[in-house]
Amino acid sequence: MALRFEVLGRFNRARAAHLTLPHFVCETPLFMPVGTQGTIKGLTTNQLEEIGCQIILGNTYHLALRPTSELIDELGGLHKFMNWPRAMLTDSGGFQMVSLLHLADITEKGVTFQSPVDGKPMLLTPEESIQIQNRIGADIIMALDDVVRTIITGPRIEEAMYRTLRWIDRCIAAHKRPHEQNLFGIVQGGLDPVLRDICVRGLVDRNLPGYAIGGLAGGEDKDSFWRVVAQCTAALPEDKPRYVMGVGYPLDIVVCSALGADMYDCVYPTRTARFGTALVPEGLLKLKNRAMSDDTRPIDPACACMVCKNYTRAYIHSLVTKDAMGSQLLSYHNLYYMMQLSRNLHSSIVQGRFPEFVCNFLQKMFPKGDIPEWVCNAMEVAGIDISSCCAPFPSAQD
Amino acid sequence: MSSSNSIHSSAMKFAVKAWSNGRARAGVLHLDCCPTPIDTPSLLLSTRKGLPLFISPDLLPSLPSPDSHLLHVSPLHFLEGLSMTTISKIGGLHQMLGLHEYGFAAVPRDSIQCLPEANSTNKVGASFETPCGRLLIKPAEYMEMISSLRPELWATLADEVPAWVSDKRNKTSVDRTIKWLDECIALSPTGGAVFGAIVGGSSLEERQRCAQEVARRNVSGYWVGGFGLGETMDERPALLNAVTVSNLTHIFWQK
Repeated sequence: MALRFEVLGRFNRARAAHLTLPHFVCETPLFMPVGTQGTIKGLTTNQLEEIGCQIILGNTYHLALRPTSELIDELGGLHKFMNWPRAMLTDSGGFQMVSLLHLADITEKGVTFQSPVDGKPMLLTPEESIQIQNRIGADIIMALDDVVRTIITGPRIEEAMYRTLRWIDRCIAAHKRPHEQNLFGIVQGGLDPVLRDICVRGLVDRNLPGYAIGGLAGGEDKDSFWRVVAQCTAALPEDKPRYVMGVGYPLDIVVCSALGADMYDCVYPTRTARFGTALVPEGLLKLKNRAMSDDTRPIDPACACMVCKNYTRAYIHSLVTKDAMGSQLLSYHNLYYMMQLSRNLHSSIVQGRFPEFVCNFLQKMFPKGDIPEWVCNAMEVAGIDISSCCAPFPSAQD
Repeated sequence: MSSSNSIHSSAMKFAVKAWSNGRARAGVLHLDCCPTPIDTPSLLLSTRKGLPLFISPDLLPSLPSPDSHLLHVSPLHFLEGLSMTTISKIGGLHQMLGLHEYGFAAVPRDSIQCLPEANSTNKVGASFETPCGRLLIKPAEYMEMISSLRPELWATLADEVPAWVSDKRNKTSVDRTIKWLDECIALSPTGGAVFGAIVGGSSLEERQRCAQEVARRNVSGYWVGGFGLGETMDERPALLNAVTVSNLTHIFWQK
């Protein structure tokens, strides 16, 4: 084990902690930006440090293709290669292969797919994935799991869950650097609570440094989504970090944190920036909109980032989708927003004002009180009273 | 030859520090907005809508200072998506870009995407090929942009022609450029330093004629245009020579 997880404060299931990794001491809950090919699109590592980024994600699949894990290893690991002094996490490569490559075929050996470089068949096994990640050198590495989208039903989900458990043993055996890199297991099982439970117990038996909840953020309905998160966080060990993969929207992060999750990753903030959309407390601000062309306010008057301190919506509007600088500035703001959200989650839990933070957050996003039912249900399970932000039911108005 | 070797305007002060044995000179440019003076000869950073293309504004200070404090701005960039009224409301370039310690030099063309289109230029205005199509810019319109943007220094509107045009067309370009020079000066806002545009294509005589005419006007500097439009590298020194021979002590030229 190469990490320490120390809970500093709680509110019911929510917790704020110090996560000590080889390269950095992180504060959770936290959001991890995705640096697909050894870079976060549009930002330098200096800027990432400045906005308070603690951990970034590298994509094993992309890095193994270019520039190859061997080269990264030769040059001293990904930290040195991309000049990032803080913490890093790499995924197994499994998700990209399944989501990017049409002809991927999953067998007990591993994932067979067509190489995008020359079309030849390639096999990614649990052993190979771990070896690649050992060479890349991230603080946290992910087990290769058999990922199935939650919109699929049937025996495939059960098969994938059991295979994930068999593969975790192969990952553990292949892992050559357990004292420098933390191997996280990934809970699969689709939307089936029985399967999820079996998977959790199987992974917990292996006594891993941390656990991820996988297979979500793939288009399932929100009600199913939060229930899976709630079940898994309830069953996973208290004293180890919990990472919900592929999440995402600020609202989802607040709900999952209330339910006891600690870490999140998603391409959404930077990707939506490249389409001209800014993250703001009210939700989204579409800078491409004609109404922005003479709006001389900052994107978010409450935001302290370099973009909001210096630029008007009108100027950003003139840049977005036409000039690269527009994407850069919006990516910067959106990531700052996510880092600030992480800081707010951590500090509000530590300072004993988490419910107030949640209500404030929901009030800004749903000023009319029309909070989605799934959020209300999740908050009830989390034991957080959000009645002050919900509009009264029509019947109550008589 | 009179030896005025310094010039003042409200935003800009320039003085020659040293002369070489030839014509080269080292100078220093003081801009009110820049904390330290800028040594000349100096290279301007190219921008797109006011911000450098290659580096975000918060990282600009990591470039060597003060050499990277002069930015070239093309007013034509702002015709896409941002009205002059809005720019005025925001307060001009410095406010809009959040770059308070940088000096802006406005010249219509940017040598990459906004290029003079001599065939479409006429007596009314200068034509440019731009990402938002072909635009005809009249002196009054150009001066409106300058008044909204408020750069530290700006070049007057010119009729730039490629090296292969007829003598007649070349002569016309000089006549027009001088006429527009006077129109621009008449409409110039307070605070910015006017750089008179000098053209003349590949003709030494026309270059000289233009320079002499511009030198008669009350300008703070000279912008030597019309280069990079078909003349050879060998021709340039002589053409520049023809311009600088007329006692011009402060010039900036653009390829």
